[in-house]
Amino acid sequence: MADDLVLDTAIRNWVLVPLSVVMVLIGVLRYFVSKLIRSSQNPDTKAIKEGQAVIRARNLRSAAHLIPSKSFRSRRIYFTNEENGLLYVPKEEAQKAQAQMFQDPNMAMDMMKKNLSMIIPQTLTFAWVNFFFSGFVAAKIPFPLTPRFRSMLQNGIDLSTVDVSYVSSRSWYFLNLFGLRGFFSLILGEENATDDAQRMMQMSGGGFGFDPSKSLGAEKDSLDIIQHEWALPKMEHRAQDVLKNLAKKL
Amino acid sequence: MATQDKRSDTSDFPEIVNTDNLQSNMKPIYYSRTFLSIIGGVIAGIWGFTGFTGFVFYFVVMLAASFGLAAKAKFSADSYFDSWNRVLLDGILGGLMSFVLFWTFAYDIVHIF
Repeated sequence: MADDLVLDTAIRNWVLVPLSVVMVLIGVLRYFVSKLIRSSQNPDTKAIKEGQAVIRARNLRSAAHLIPSKSFRSRRIYFTNEENGLLYVPKEEAQKAQAQMFQDPNMAMDMMKKNLSMIIPQTLTFAWVNFFFSGFVAAKIPFPLTPRFRSMLQNGIDLSTVDVSYVSSRSWYFLNLFGLRGFFSLILGEENATDDAQRMMQMSGGGFGFDPSKSLGAEKDSLDIIQHEWALPKMEHRAQDVLKNLAKKL
Repeated sequence: MATQDKRSDTSDFPEIVNTDNLQSNMKPIYYSRTFLSIIGGVIAGIWGFTGFTGFVFYFVVMLAASFGLAAKAKFSADSYFDSWNRVLLDGILGGLMSFVLFWTFAYDIVHIF
């Protein structure tokens, strides 16, 4: 029935554009706020030492094929030696450290702060959108969708004969939420906290909290498993070829 | 952004990759795809593509982007990336959401309001 509704220009001026602008501004604000909050952290010496040891072990693992086997083995023993290897943590200590990390109030506060800075702006904006912008058609999506999406997209609209393409402002909010991620990465550079997946990866690579005791054991095991395979036995021949080609050109 | 050469060996050696350079090479790909999705979305909206045509347009734009990126990498993915998939396919789905957002926006502004 409704082939081409013509909507009021006022909707465009006062709904679509302000909503997008507000979301961009909130994203920028959140980026700067997260930067400010992060800078006041006091790092824990022991956790950093263990984190660095894990990073070294990881580097050794990934570059294992670039060094001859004797040097690889001596490095490996340095890490995994039972008595004084860097990665060796006796069982009781590991459990104690883990329990301590859980009860440590600072750690809990940090994680809560990070989660909250993500969730609160989204919740507030969603509530704001629902309160002010509900009950009318906000936009038309250029492509047709199946009727199953009707309840999700047309939440405030009570007519059931309107095309599914005409959506409420709630769905405009969600569309903005997903679509502005790429936009943020362009205007904010690489480090922006607007992407959930990225933030999760950054958190796990920080080496804080109860990560050390578990990851030390994991690193030790993976180092033990590695079979050394030297990838560069023919390097001298290759260097010879390269130099020969160079000499020919001169 | 200039792409940087990374050491990679010929057939009988295993791949040696400089991960820093690889990552910094991935960035222009990501940025250019995102930027082109946004511009493509605005163009599709202004021209009034609806439904399937719009998505076809998006994939055409992505193909053109892949072609341009391959040409910039001198058609040899091995010297700048570790596989062709990165040049050709990476970032296409991520750009889809931005494309749809700007396509909806431009289409509504021009045709409905």
